[in-house]
Amino acid sequence: MILMDTVWTWIAALLTLAIFSFLYKDNPFYKFAEHLFVGVSAAYTLVLAYYNSFVPNLILPVFREHNYWFIIPGLLGLLFFARFIPRLGFLILFPISFTIGGYAGLSIGPGLQARLLKQLQGSMLHPADFTDPWTLINKIIVLIGILGTMLYFYFSKEHKGVLKLATGIGIWFIMVGFGAAFGYTVMARASLLIGRIQFLLTDWLHLIR
Amino acid sequence: MNDWLVRLAKIDRRYIFLIVAVSVILPLLFPLHYPIRVTRHTRAVFDIVDQIPPDSNPILISFEYGPSTMPECHPMAYAILRHAFARRVRVIGITLSADATGLGEKALQDVALEFGREYGKDYVFLGYKPGVSAVMLSIGEDIKTTFPQDFYGQSTSEIPMLADVHNYGQIPLVIPLTGSATATFWLIYAGARYHARVADGVTAVMASELYSYLQTKQLSGLLAGLKGAAEYEHLVRQAGYTQREGRASRGMDALSTMHLVIIAFIVLGNIGFFLSRRAAKEGVQS
Repeated sequence: MILMDTVWTWIAALLTLAIFSFLYKDNPFYKFAEHLFVGVSAAYTLVLAYYNSFVPNLILPVFREHNYWFIIPGLLGLLFFARFIPRLGFLILFPISFTIGGYAGLSIGPGLQARLLKQLQGSMLHPADFTDPWTLINKIIVLIGILGTMLYFYFSKEHKGVLKLATGIGIWFIMVGFGAAFGYTVMARASLLIGRIQFLLTDWLHLIR
Repeated sequence: MNDWLVRLAKIDRRYIFLIVAVSVILPLLFPLHYPIRVTRHTRAVFDIVDQIPPDSNPILISFEYGPSTMPECHPMAYAILRHAFARRVRVIGITLSADATGLGEKALQDVALEFGREYGKDYVFLGYKPGVSAVMLSIGEDIKTTFPQDFYGQSTSEIPMLADVHNYGQIPLVIPLTGSATATFWLIYAGARYHARVADGVTAVMASELYSYLQTKQLSGLLAGLKGAAEYEHLVRQAGYTQREGRASRGMDALSTMHLVIIAFIVLGNIGFFLSRRAAKEGVQS
């Protein structure tokens, strides 16, 4: 078991170095590691989807529990493959309509609630906000930011006078938002590099305990 | 001096890669022990888990990260699991991303072994289920219908820990650990639709767009990237639940040093850009 762990660690370390070698320039080692990753990921996902979705949701209910209603969604799913037969290609519209209709129905209500109504509510001033000065200041900044940003995307009137001032404030808020997102992105990429180097130094080279 | 800065702005990027690599490797080999300051959003997640009574209703951790986001999310999983298992808080593990199946299973097994927790009684792993939002909605109706079997093929209706768990009503906290938009999906389908309490653990790329949901209290807490994981590890260690220093905490020195190097590059790059632009203008005028 320990020997196998060591073998797998060596394979992972060598593949990591093969991917890092792209930083110098494109080369066959990088290409090999990249293709291997794509192939393994696709196969892994396929096998997991079969055993975790297809078997418990179709094979077992139909063949073990004899619940034949499950054949209907199974057939509907099969129609996705109709596009490979030009004469029957139109049949794909049935599962697509079910999928889009179902997802739209399920998403619109909760989506509106979470993304719009609750967020609108959060941007409004409530009597309770006036009891704490810091909350009030925070809420006012949020309100100014929202109004300025929304006005910046209002294109039906030329940005002049008061509108120019408001959109000017809006662009500052947008830039701060982009800056924060960029900062977090740098942190994310840095973390990925740190994770790999930690693996190389700890699990492979044993330089860190 | 000006020539030097202009030349620096045009430096071969491979030298930059090398300097960045050195700025990561050195602090990992020789730790600087920068202090870790805990944000209130991380503390909020910790406090919720800390207040759940032992051996009561389980929390749900959804593992939704793959090898590409593992350095940020995997330490979060270990830190939360150490906290939960140290306090005998039960855990249901699921995954909505195929890549995460092996990672989630390993995290649960490792930490359960560390704290002597028993499968089926203290934790359960229900495995991967495709469908994302459909799965989230389905759990709101009945988790055992959504996952008729656990990852190992055992019927979920026979697992003792799940006997009284039907839907989000019996789950005090849902924690998706993700590097994708599913962080928001949980708010919509579990939070808005079924009033589940959701706290996200996300990669840093995802974090900035989730702050607005913290402000409206749709999110109960947030672990943001490697920093969030390190903060949680720090809290778990500070509370005496474990003495282990997690990988995220060890990575924070490298992260801070690397950030300083990148800031220096941005400043120098901008100075070089403005100087070369001025030199070009002067060249045109003369």
